[in-house]
Amino acid sequence: MCGIIGCVGRGDETLDTLLHGLSKLEYRGYDSAGVALVDDRSVSVVKKSGELDALREELSTSDIGGRVGIGHTRWSTHGPPTDGNAHPHRDCTGDVAVVHNGIIENYQSLRDELAESGHEFRSDTDTEVVPHLVEASLESGADPEAAFRAAIGRLEGSYAIACVIAGTDSVFVARNDSPLVLGIAEDATYLASDVPAFREFTDKVVYLEDGEYARLDTDGWRVSDVDGGTIEKSIETVTWDPEDTGKSGYDHFMLKEIHEQPRALRQCLQGRVDELRGTVTLEELGELSLERVHLVAAGTSYHAAIYGAQLLQAKGVPAQPFLSHEYATSPPPAEDAIVVGVSQSGETADTLAATREARRRGAETLALTNTVGSTMARECDHVCYIRSGPEIGVAATKTFAGQQTALNLLTEAATEGGADRDVIAALRNVPGQVQEVLDSSKAEAVAEAYLDSDAYFFIGRSLNFPVALEGALKMKEISYEHAEGFAAGELKHGPLALVTSETPVFATVVGDGELARKTVGNVKEVEARDAPVVAITDGQSDVARYADHVLEIPETHPRTAAILTNVQLQLVAYHTAAKLGRSIDKPRNLAKSVTVE
Amino acid sequence: MDITTGIVLAAGEGTRLRPLTFNRPKTMLPAAGRPILEHVLDVLVDCGIERLCLVVGYQRERVQEHFGPSYRDVPITYVHQTKQLGSGHALQQAAPETDGPVLVLNGDRVIDERIVADVLEGFDGTPAMAVLDHPTPTRYGAVEVDDGTLSTLVEKPDSDAFGRINAGVYAFDESVFDAIERTPRRNGELHLPDVIGTLMDDGEVRAVSTDGLWVDATYPWDLLYLTRELLANGRVQFPERSDNVWVADSARVHPEATLQGPVVVGPDAEIAASAVVGPDVAVGRNATVGGNVTLQNTLLDSDCRVGPGSTLVDCVAGQSVSIGPGTVVPGGPSDVRVGDRVFENQGLGAVLADRASVGGGATFMPGTLVGADATVGTGAHVSGWIRNGAEVVR
Repeated sequence: MCGIIGCVGRGDETLDTLLHGLSKLEYRGYDSAGVALVDDRSVSVVKKSGELDALREELSTSDIGGRVGIGHTRWSTHGPPTDGNAHPHRDCTGDVAVVHNGIIENYQSLRDELAESGHEFRSDTDTEVVPHLVEASLESGADPEAAFRAAIGRLEGSYAIACVIAGTDSVFVARNDSPLVLGIAEDATYLASDVPAFREFTDKVVYLEDGEYARLDTDGWRVSDVDGGTIEKSIETVTWDPEDTGKSGYDHFMLKEIHEQPRALRQCLQGRVDELRGTVTLEELGELSLERVHLVAAGTSYHAAIYGAQLLQAKGVPAQPFLSHEYATSPPPAEDAIVVGVSQSGETADTLAATREARRRGAETLALTNTVGSTMARECDHVCYIRSGPEIGVAATKTFAGQQTALNLLTEAATEGGADRDVIAALRNVPGQVQEVLDSSKAEAVAEAYLDSDAYFFIGRSLNFPVALEGALKMKEISYEHAEGFAAGELKHGPLALVTSETPVFATVVGDGELARKTVGNVKEVEARDAPVVAITDGQSDVARYADHVLEIPETHPRTAAILTNVQLQLVAYHTAAKLGRSIDKPRNLAKSVTVE
Repeated sequence: MDITTGIVLAAGEGTRLRPLTFNRPKTMLPAAGRPILEHVLDVLVDCGIERLCLVVGYQRERVQEHFGPSYRDVPITYVHQTKQLGSGHALQQAAPETDGPVLVLNGDRVIDERIVADVLEGFDGTPAMAVLDHPTPTRYGAVEVDDGTLSTLVEKPDSDAFGRINAGVYAFDESVFDAIERTPRRNGELHLPDVIGTLMDDGEVRAVSTDGLWVDATYPWDLLYLTRELLANGRVQFPERSDNVWVADSARVHPEATLQGPVVVGPDAEIAASAVVGPDVAVGRNATVGGNVTLQNTLLDSDCRVGPGSTLVDCVAGQSVSIGPGTVVPGGPSDVRVGDRVFENQGLGAVLADRASVGGGATFMPGTLVGADATVGTGAHVSGWIRNGAEVVR
């Protein structure tokens, strides 16, 4: 899970262009970073463990330059985050430098082989075999492009690789199972793991497919297949605004993105719901009808998948959520299920593995994603976009709400019996209601009150069960505090043993029906163990009588209530982390888009 | 002397517009379907300003969320005025973000491009201020001008002797920040007109005579006037469907609904069959107007719902206001009570602040003000001033 960048044709601004690109890719990982620049005859590499600023600091005392360059921001998979393990990696001569995102599965055997023939390795990484393979080919007389192709031909695993070679004003790239996109400008060509890296310089992009190679030169670019034959690629135009990535006055991207939720949900709903006619349409899905569904996802998206499965089940559609990594390795009997991959980035390696496994056995697949042009969007038979806009904070917020909303649309648009008018009205109300929660939330005071707790527990039933899981995940991710989410009914089957006066319990209680009554029963159980209780409620039940704090949401349909309760829990996690001084947008050990399995 | 930076003062609540400002500053209140501040920024961008600096304070998230890091490709820097201690203090907060001469204006008034263009053109390094003719200078800063130079500036004068006012649009070079430092505070507050006083003592303040649209909303009912003026001037961003009828592409209007211009219908709004909407109506984003509803001289902010068969005349409804079926707001004129002041003969049916909820069949006496989150029961007969969050049973 790393980010790579490269450019040709930027002249004296090459280094600045690379650093700018890396800053836009930091969301992909940030425990080390580095750049390689090619000047007339040699390759210079500067790399440093730590965040990008550490690299900038290092560069301020060096005077490297060049007209062609590559860069990398790393999140460790093989070997600890040290200067030595940072990319780019070089061969023995220092004339070849490589950056890589992905995992080379056969690196140990390649490394043994290369070491045997005298190559010296300086890092613990899988990547370092690549420059040595290139070196070996160059030594045997291959030209630079042939040497690069020969090296790539030896690799097994997932990679997006960029390589520079001394004496050649080119960047060589190859892709297999890791994202890679080219940026095409009039006098320069870029490559990156993701568009924001070069969006400031061009809006023209070419998406590389698995198995494709490209060569970027000062006079242009060429994409080729494994045999070297030219592939005609279409140049696409990305429409979004690079300025979307600014923080606009907020302390953190996460807080900005929490506040953007009303807008994100309006975008998700726009043109898709018609209250006058009582219809929901997802144009991109055509006449698709869901009869049996497997939802596959990881992390926050998995919680959305649980919610989506609940919605479909209520419509009589057999639907099951699966953790995508489990699904890929131990697939359940699929019968004729449509497999829905839920992934914000559309690049989540585990979820891609699951949808690929589904395709392999002939299942129809659907991508529910935020990212147009992502690998999952291109590989699946159908795609439904959540239209949340770019999300930079590592902890997903507006895209979870977008997934919840899009899953409602999917359920109403693609199941028998037509759309439910109450749901349509509720969906049209939800952006304003999220705004109401944002305007009036007391989450900061709650976060302050429970700052020094031993652990945080979250409980909910039915549609608020995934919200409890998500509330706990947010808290873990950004506050580093211990947090767990449970189905409320599960509490007394074990977790209750953990409950003390030092473990606040966040209980979501919506409506005044049987579900609410039962959850209030659970609240009384924890209250009897002296645990402080924070009720997230629409005020219809009497839960406030047993709660120490109440976080209110407006009364609405149970389906959209689960969007609102989650917003309150996002704010609790945010304010807890902020008061603890955590690195909210880039929590330790985590990356935004998990592009390795 | 070219000015490329625009500083917009958008930190104040606008307390006289309560209860509409419960959740957002005055700059974000609606004017013909979009926030007042958006009209202001449009003018600056159209006049060639290349960098925007917004001084934000009260409920600043609302401003930051709406505009984000740029507006129409012009980058925005946000400056946080943590305590709202006057317009001079607000400008002072922007000093670290400033380099070179600046245009400064209030973010809560809709103005013409001409006013800004005239000030930009009239600026040669000497402090400059726009002045224009106005029928009621007693509400504003009244001015006297002597041969292009400001000679008198009086805030809210008692006498009617003045015919011109300070339009609240200024051009300064960096020395204004020094003048701010030297201007004494009054009751802890520091206002721009006092800073102008300091600059007048220092030397000259140029008075740039100008004219064009200049509309201020002081009280809630002024928002109706503001929208009428904007519609009359065609200042609407959505496509014009027919004469003076502007409808956003994503809005849905039933073919059997009647839109009588001037009318603007925002994105995602829905208008059901047999509704009669207009004249002088703005239907906000994602608002829902039920069947057989009649709306006249009325402003519905985003996410409002008006139930079937309701009639609203001279009415201002904030965000997510929900009005049950068969509700009647017959309209003004009336005497409106705000606190201990009475405003006579105002054309106001009712003001309903954000998220007020009205059961079906309610009737509103002219001049009623309903607070944010207040609830009006089914069949209630409402008059006067209802507090935020209060419940009216009958």
